[in-house]
Amino acid sequence: MLSRRLLLAAFAALLLSPFAAPFAASAQPKDKVAISALPFISTAPVFIAKERGYFDAEGIDLDIKIFNAAQAVAVAVASNDADFGITAFTGGFFNLAGKGALKVVAAQSREEPGYNFVAYVASKKAYDAGFRSPKDFAGKSVAITTVGSSFHYNLGMLADKYGFKLDAVQMKPVQSIPNMMAALSGGQVDATILPANNALKLEADGAGKIIGWVHEHTPWQLGVLFASSKIVKEKRPLVERFVWAYQKGLADYAAAFLAKDSQGNRMIGEKALALMPVLEKWVQPKPSIDTVKIAANYMDPQGRLLVKNIYDQLAWYQAQGLVDKSVKAGDFLDLSFVKGHLDLPKK
Amino acid sequence: MQVVLDGVGYAYGDLPVLDGVSFSVAEGETAALIGPSGCGKSTLLNLVGGLLQQQVGRVSTPGAPPAGCLNPLTFVFQDFALLPWRSVAGNVALALEHHGLGRKEREGRINEVLTLCGLADFADALPRQLSGGMRQRVGIARAIAVKPAVLLMDEPLSALDAQTRELLMEDLVAIWARERTTTLYVTHNLSEAVRLADKVVVLSRRPGRIKRVVEVPVPVFERHKLDHAAALQALQDELWGLIKTEAQVADREVQDV
Amino acid sequence: MSETQPTVTFRGRGFVPATKRWAPWLAFVLIIAAWEFASDTGLLPSLFMPSPHEVLLALYSLLVDGKLFVHIGASLQRIVGGWLLGSFAGLCFGFAMGIFVLARSVGLPVVAALFPIPKIALLPLFILWFGIGEPSKIATIALGVFFPTVVSTYSAVDNVPRNLIRMAQSFGLSTPAIVWKVILPGAMPGILSGFRISSSIALILVVAAEMIGTQVGIGAFVLAAGNLMQTDQLVAGVVLLSLLGLTISWLLGIAEKTLLRWR
Repeated sequence: MLSRRLLLAAFAALLLSPFAAPFAASAQPKDKVAISALPFISTAPVFIAKERGYFDAEGIDLDIKIFNAAQAVAVAVASNDADFGITAFTGGFFNLAGKGALKVVAAQSREEPGYNFVAYVASKKAYDAGFRSPKDFAGKSVAITTVGSSFHYNLGMLADKYGFKLDAVQMKPVQSIPNMMAALSGGQVDATILPANNALKLEADGAGKIIGWVHEHTPWQLGVLFASSKIVKEKRPLVERFVWAYQKGLADYAAAFLAKDSQGNRMIGEKALALMPVLEKWVQPKPSIDTVKIAANYMDPQGRLLVKNIYDQLAWYQAQGLVDKSVKAGDFLDLSFVKGHLDLPKK
Repeated sequence: MQVVLDGVGYAYGDLPVLDGVSFSVAEGETAALIGPSGCGKSTLLNLVGGLLQQQVGRVSTPGAPPAGCLNPLTFVFQDFALLPWRSVAGNVALALEHHGLGRKEREGRINEVLTLCGLADFADALPRQLSGGMRQRVGIARAIAVKPAVLLMDEPLSALDAQTRELLMEDLVAIWARERTTTLYVTHNLSEAVRLADKVVVLSRRPGRIKRVVEVPVPVFERHKLDHAAALQALQDELWGLIKTEAQVADREVQDV
Repeated sequence: MSETQPTVTFRGRGFVPATKRWAPWLAFVLIIAAWEFASDTGLLPSLFMPSPHEVLLALYSLLVDGKLFVHIGASLQRIVGGWLLGSFAGLCFGFAMGIFVLARSVGLPVVAALFPIPKIALLPLFILWFGIGEPSKIATIALGVFFPTVVSTYSAVDNVPRNLIRMAQSFGLSTPAIVWKVILPGAMPGILSGFRISSSIALILVVAAEMIGTQVGIGAFVLAAGNLMQTDQLVAGVVLLSLLGLTISWLLGIAEKTLLRWR
């Protein structure tokens, strides 16, 4: 069946090619652009903009390269295997950006009050022993992915806000989220920090208890859209067009997944259902409307950054000795592509 | 102590190597065992020494071992079998350590045999530092340190060059003059047999059977005298006549064992 | 014919299996100088490879804040603990297989089946069994060390000359005495060269073992540096691992010289 369909398609293409050729020639030749990304819902604005033709409308032929770790996404841009990247901040990201290879151009996810995204999860045992608040992390053992990951930074922000020493938290790097879940259910750590769907699964299994959400304590800029310094320098108009298309995707995403009703509950309606095929095509593992309801995280509808938080993050990583002291936020932030960035640091 | 073999046979699987071998070695006597290669000489020695399980016939050792004997049936090996990581004295000590001798007696015995074998100056040397002849002297010293009742010598001189062999034969004769140990001496060298043995047991080709037992008419200590040279040469020629044909056949045989 | 009486010419030049002592040092210095030059002139961007002096600076800062010894100490503890455990068990099994027919018959196929398993793949299992603390790390190293030790010990015992064992039997030594006085020293060269292999395996596995649940140790340091894209620290960690390996092989060299003086 398949081969017959392929044959038909090839035949059709042959027939149509004389007509297609002059048609293509009349259009502007498109710019080929590659973006490296994770197959997560947090990349949805890019997927939406691609599937709805927003990039095509800007004359951009976008190739989405899927990676499986935030690190790889940034490295791909640094090594010029991709022109853009979209992923969460990590210590590694700042170190790469500090070498002058990357420029941050727009926002991706952030922890926004009222939107559950990442949760603090206590083990059943620690919870029963009285561990009920993220203020009490001191003295607990906590599974994280790696040193310098966003989970590490989440703990750092908590320590700063509630005045405990980060050294008093026993951090156990276990490399991956499945390992973090296993360490918590196996009782090898007192707590961990997990994205909503993983946290809720652990709670449903009775292995852990959610004792708070990050947005309730420390809102912050989680992820960004960034470009290689080369393309920003040499093809500025192309970056501008790219960001416009991205913003259209963001707006669609926000309208579909971030709307709330009068009681403040998330509404997942017609617009969300209309976008499901796009997510099903790109997001791994394949999402259902229920998982999307939980995992759709907040993104600024216009791609505006919490600028001061980025300065804070960098300062924190540098204070931990995880990022080189010579790195300056101003050098890798390019705030000119998006208007009205939020919370600008006072000079 | 004597050694008595009565109808001894042995086979490696389907391959018979010894068949109905009977002879005896009297107290203090030296018997040389000769024969073409592959006639089971070494097998016979290992049967006597208890390193091989007896199959057919019986090997017995009537008579009491001498006083102070620690290891009645004691081997001297063709390849010396010295522990390369032990000194000369250490190699001799190996044979004594497990007998619960006092430290004094042990060291006394070691010094005695090293002196007897001309090794007194080499007590701390390692085997690799010694010539082949000196190495075999260590092997002999180790053997006589246990005051054996029967010495089982498995081609002890065949790994040495001709000159060294001459020297060691003189040493052996001198040692026997002192110890008078019953000895079974395996060799393929006829002049060694005629020079050292009281009687020569000639074995046939595989399966080894006794072809003849020849008494050497001259006492061991007089054989170096020129008067006996002709008689001993005649004996050696006679022995060669006994095994020459079979040695030729054995030489042309394709080995697959 | 008088004018054709040529002197014999020497034609045995070259192909001598000798080494020059200064050559490796010079090569080392030249490679590092070329590397530094390439970094300083921008031929080798620091994004892809740190320069030698950046690596030295990273090592220096580790030394100054005292973390160097914390990392080395933690790793050494795991390496030594795991190696001792794996080697001891490996020696026992190797000896048993070399001496007893039944142990050999059972052991050879079992070892053949289990030896090729990449121990790193078993790390998650060890974490289930032993937790994410020290025991799982030591177990990973111990298991990695165990199999090569069994194999090298077994073949070392097997290669002890039979005639020495028969000699010991002919002097009436008991089996334990033969094992202790003949087989153990006779197998020592093979066992020591097995130690060379197993110690470098321990060094490789410490990096894997320190992936999970620890922030100290050279392996954890190298992995964290990799995650953080701190290439200068990454290379510094690799240099430390290599120095550790050189030290271990130097110590083994001394052990060989002392224990195998008789060779």
